[in-house]
Amino acid sequence: MAKYRPLLVAFIIASVLAVAYYYGGNFSKGGYAAQPQAPASVDAVAQAPSSEKPQIAEASPIDPEAGKDAHFTGPAPSDSLMPADQNAAYSGSEFSVSLSVRCDAILGNMNLLDDDKKELVPADGTIFPASTVEAYVGESVFNVLQREMKRARIHLEFMNTPIYNSAYIEGINNIYEYDAGELSGWMYKVNGRFPNYGCSRHLLQPGDAIEWIYTCDLGRDVGADEFSGGQKDE
Amino acid sequence: MNEDAFSSFHPAVSLLYFTFSIGFTVFLTHPICLGISLLCAFIYSVRIKGKRAVRFNMLYMLPTFAFSALLNPAFNHQGATILAYLPSGNPLTLESILYGLAASAMLVASISWFSCFNAVMTSDKFVYLFGRIIPSLSLVLAMALRFAPLFTQQIKVISYAQKCVGRNGSNENFLRKMMRGVKILSIMTTWALENAIETADSMKCRGYGLPGRTAFSVYRFQRRDAWALALILAFASIAIAGSAIGASRFRYFPTVKGEWTGINAIIAFAAYIGLCSFPILVNIKEDIVWKRIKLNA
Repeated sequence: MAKYRPLLVAFIIASVLAVAYYYGGNFSKGGYAAQPQAPASVDAVAQAPSSEKPQIAEASPIDPEAGKDAHFTGPAPSDSLMPADQNAAYSGSEFSVSLSVRCDAILGNMNLLDDDKKELVPADGTIFPASTVEAYVGESVFNVLQREMKRARIHLEFMNTPIYNSAYIEGINNIYEYDAGELSGWMYKVNGRFPNYGCSRHLLQPGDAIEWIYTCDLGRDVGADEFSGGQKDE
Repeated sequence: MNEDAFSSFHPAVSLLYFTFSIGFTVFLTHPICLGISLLCAFIYSVRIKGKRAVRFNMLYMLPTFAFSALLNPAFNHQGATILAYLPSGNPLTLESILYGLAASAMLVASISWFSCFNAVMTSDKFVYLFGRIIPSLSLVLAMALRFAPLFTQQIKVISYAQKCVGRNGSNENFLRKMMRGVKILSIMTTWALENAIETADSMKCRGYGLPGRTAFSVYRFQRRDAWALALILAFASIAIAGSAIGASRFRYFPTVKGEWTGINAIIAFAAYIGLCSFPILVNIKEDIVWKRIKLNA
């Protein structure tokens, strides 16, 4: 037994490292890490009529007693899309949405920003200019952001939170939450509205306009008053 | 040959020295500073403990270093240089790897410094330094520091005694081995309780806590202690000044940046080399003097 002890220790260390790298701090991997498969054949795409509305996965039902669904998300406004399960299946057909990533709010709060991070903020606040990108049916805002950031070689760190069943964006382009004061972080907007649930639960529809915006004041400085009770900071 | 000359300095000098060396190891994150600290701590621990330190460093410190260096990039995804993407979808960055290396160098260096600290600052020195200011705490500390080595020694004694009465157990199965271990632990617990009462009785008999008692000590603050203190303070203040003006500052995120060759940085690094290698230099000087006396005789 004593002879094999170094081997055993090496094995334990290697397995701990393997687990750590596989999960990278996330407990549940969910479906968000899987990239959509390319359409199996050209016919499949051709068959899907362009006017057809993408199939939206069923929204998680809201428990009437708690007023929240299984993932602690409150009800969405009736005229907006209901939050979906982030593990929804993809189908192959492709459509286009628009995506932009901006951090204008930092420009007015440069004094709050760490000195080492100042060089990361572009002069016009544009990290990823508004552009038309492709998305697949059943994909969420998170999937599109992750793919486009990878393609543009822009840094992106997220964390999957099993209790909310959603991905949380910690930092884009090395600009992280809390970097510009303790009320700062990344928020997203779809068609001009800030959804009240995680980005990997927001399924996309053709023509959606996604905007990722950095806030320095819990959303109040970018027009999302509802998350802080609508009260302006003194 | 293995006699450590630095241990013969006044306890106050040793304590101040280790405060600086461990403190700087933790606060100066420049790779050069960490390298200097790691190397000096390694050499000094080998000087104090000989082959045992080499074995300890290779067997435990090297795996610790590798493990903590590799663990960092799995959880830390900051940094502008993206090398690859991990299975979880987050990036693997060059900066997080470099930071992992630096942090584990810091960890291993401070463990090495602490092992030197333990060898040099024996409990009698500790009680001598703090016996007047915080008598009860220094006594508790001295007893607590003695606790682990004493218990390991006693466990060895008990297990030898068990072997002598025939409970040898080299070819027993796992369950029997466990039961034997529990038996040794039970004997150990009984002994520890008895030992505590004996210690208390012994302290009472010797008049512990009575007013007007003095402690015997052989430490005197000599001229060489003053010299050592002055040198350590000089090196430390240069290193602190270097860090204050930013010469030895190093940032790891979002991109690695720091001064390597500026005149201020070189002065700060030189002072830091002086500080970290001080016990080694003292030992070299002592060896030379010893050799010269031997030749003259």
